Amino acid sequence: MKNNNIYQPIKAKLEEVIEESPTIKTFVLKPENHFSFHTGQFVELVLEGVGEAPFTPSSSPLVRNKIDITVMRTGYLTQRLHQLKGGETLGIRGPYGRGYPLEKLYGKEVLVLGGGCGFAPLRSLLYNLQAEQERIKKVTFCYGSKSPQECIYEPYIDELRNVPKFEVMRTVDEADESWTEEVGVATVLLDKIDINIDESVAVVVGPPIMMKFSVQKLLEMGYPEHNILLSMEKNMSCGLGKCGHCMMGEYFVCKDGPVFSYDQIKDKPDIWK
Amino acid sequence: MHKYYTLTKEEWDRALIHLISQYLFYAPLGEGEQQDYDLIGEKDIPRIIYNQPKPATPLKTFFLPVAENVIAPTSHPTPRIIMGIPACDLAAMNIQDEMYLNRDYLDGPYQKRREATILIGTDCHSIQPHCHCTTYGVKPYPQENHDLSLSLSDQTIYLYTHSEKGRALIKEIEKYSAPGAPTENEIQALFDKREEIERKLNQNNQELPNYQQTGELIDQSDAEIWKRYSETCVSCGACATICPTCTCFLLLERPGFEKVRHLDACQYPGFEKVAAGEDPLRPLYKRFYNRYMCKYVWKPQKFDALACTGCGRCIEACIGKINKNELFQELANH
Repeated sequence: MKNNNIYQPIKAKLEEVIEESPTIKTFVLKPENHFSFHTGQFVELVLEGVGEAPFTPSSSPLVRNKIDITVMRTGYLTQRLHQLKGGETLGIRGPYGRGYPLEKLYGKEVLVLGGGCGFAPLRSLLYNLQAEQERIKKVTFCYGSKSPQECIYEPYIDELRNVPKFEVMRTVDEADESWTEEVGVATVLLDKIDINIDESVAVVVGPPIMMKFSVQKLLEMGYPEHNILLSMEKNMSCGLGKCGHCMMGEYFVCKDGPVFSYDQIKDKPDIWK
Repeated sequence: MHKYYTLTKEEWDRALIHLISQYLFYAPLGEGEQQDYDLIGEKDIPRIIYNQPKPATPLKTFFLPVAENVIAPTSHPTPRIIMGIPACDLAAMNIQDEMYLNRDYLDGPYQKRREATILIGTDCHSIQPHCHCTTYGVKPYPQENHDLSLSLSDQTIYLYTHSEKGRALIKEIEKYSAPGAPTENEIQALFDKREEIERKLNQNNQELPNYQQTGELIDQSDAEIWKRYSETCVSCGACATICPTCTCFLLLERPGFEKVRHLDACQYPGFEKVAAGEDPLRPLYKRFYNRYMCKYVWKPQKFDALACTGCGRCIEACIGKINKNELFQELANH
C-alpha cells in the first residue's frame, strides 16, 4: 500500500470535472497505481508545483479504479484546482487517518447530518451504507445548504430517495420559489426526524459552526457523546502525524482522526475553530 | 561488553587527525559560553572544547536541516562523527525518533542521516545559567542515544562504549594508538564529578517544578499569565528553532511533484490557519501557550519521550527576554 518514500504522491489523471454548484466542483481522478481507501479516510491532493491539501474522497470506497474528490473554492490552492479542465495529471498521497467506524453503525438507525460541502465525505459513507443495507436498520440523511443553488449532488439525492431504508431531508438557509423542502439552518431538520435515539448513531460533517450547533442539539435530544461521530477539519501538511499542524490536544487529527466521537475531543481546545 | 578506555590527550589528538580524514567530523568550537558544533580540520584540533555545555544549536539540526528536498535529496549522507554532545541533546533525540522513525511512517532522509552518524556524548563538567536537565530527570552525562561517551580530565581522554558503532570506532582508534584501561580511582573521580554537577544543578533549580508538575500547572493555569509573559514575544520562533525537542515542519511543493520539508513552528502566525479563515492560534498568547501545552501536557500523553530536556536554549535565545522557568516558578508559587 505504501510507497517507500512516505512523501511521494502517486500520479492520477484528472478524467472529468463536474460542476456541483457555483463554488463546488468534483474532480474525477484515475490513479496510475492501485489505490483504495476506507470511507472517511482522506488524501492529500497535490497540484504539482503549487501545493497540496487534505480532502476526503466523495466516491464509494468500493469503486477501485476511480476516485472522486469534491472541492469547495476557498483558498489559493482550491482556486487553482477549480481552473482545471480535465486531462491534467495530479498527485495523491494517502489514504490517511481513521475513517468512519462502520462496525459502530451496523444494526443501528444511522443519522447522517451534513452541511454544505460536508456532504462530500458523507456521500462516500452513504454509498458504503447503501452497499451494506442489510447490515443497518435505517439511514436518515439530513442535509443543509445555504441556498438551493449551493445544494450539491442533486442526481444522487434523487437516487437516494428511492433506496429502501434511506430517508432524505434537506433544508436551505435561504429559499427561492423553486424550493419545496425545509427552510432554516441544518439543525431545524433534527426537529422533524423520526428516529429511536437509543438505537441510533449520528455522523456530523460540515462547517465548524454547523457542527457545533448540531452537536449541542443532538446532546439535548439525548444522544450519548460517544454516539456522535464527527469528521474534523484542521490545517494539515504531512497527513502522517508528524508535522504538527493539525494537533488538537494530544491528537494528530490526520492520524488519530479525522473521525472522532464527541467524547474524545470535547475538552480539546478550540475544536470548532 | 561496554567498557572504558583511556588515551593521553596527545594520542587522542593524533587519532583525530586520522578520523578527520575519514569522516566529516564535528566538534564544539568557540570561546567560553559562545560555542557551537563546527566541521573541524586538523588546525582546529587544539581548539576543541571538552566537557563544557553547550553548543548553541541543538543536535537535531544535523538530522533535520532547515529545508530539505525529501523526494529528491540533493546529497547523500556522508559518514560523520559528532562529538561534544551534551546529555540534554541526546535525550532529545527520543522525541525526534518517535516522530521521524515511527513504524507507521518512516522519514527516509532522517533515517539515512541517523544511520550515517556516530554520536559521541560528553559529560558536562560545568553548568550554564539556564541549564535545568535534572529537573526533568535527565542526567548531566550521556545515558542514551550515543555510541561513545568521551571526557577529558587531567590531559587524559576517557572513552566509554555504548553501542556497536561505538565499539567499531574504538577499533579504528586502536589502529593509531593503544588505548589503556582507567584505574578504579580514575573511574571514581569521573563519577564524583558527575555527582557534583548533578548536585549543583539540583541546587540551582530547586524552586522549579518537575516535568509532571509543570504539565499539571500549565494545564490548570488561566490565560492571564500567558498574556503577561508573551507581551514581549515577537513570534520570531527562535525558541522552537533552537529547541532540541521541537519537531514541527511544513511541506512545500516543488515542480516534478517534489517536496521540501521546512522546519516550522507553532509560534509563527498562521500555523493552524485553514483556508476558510479559522485560526485557533491567531492570538499571540495562544501560540505562546500552545508550545508549552504541547511540551508538558500533550506530548507526554502520547509519547514516553520527554518533550523538554531542560537545555535552557529557549531562554537564552529569546529576544523578548521571556524566561519560561520564571513563568513556571510563578505558577508553582501560586
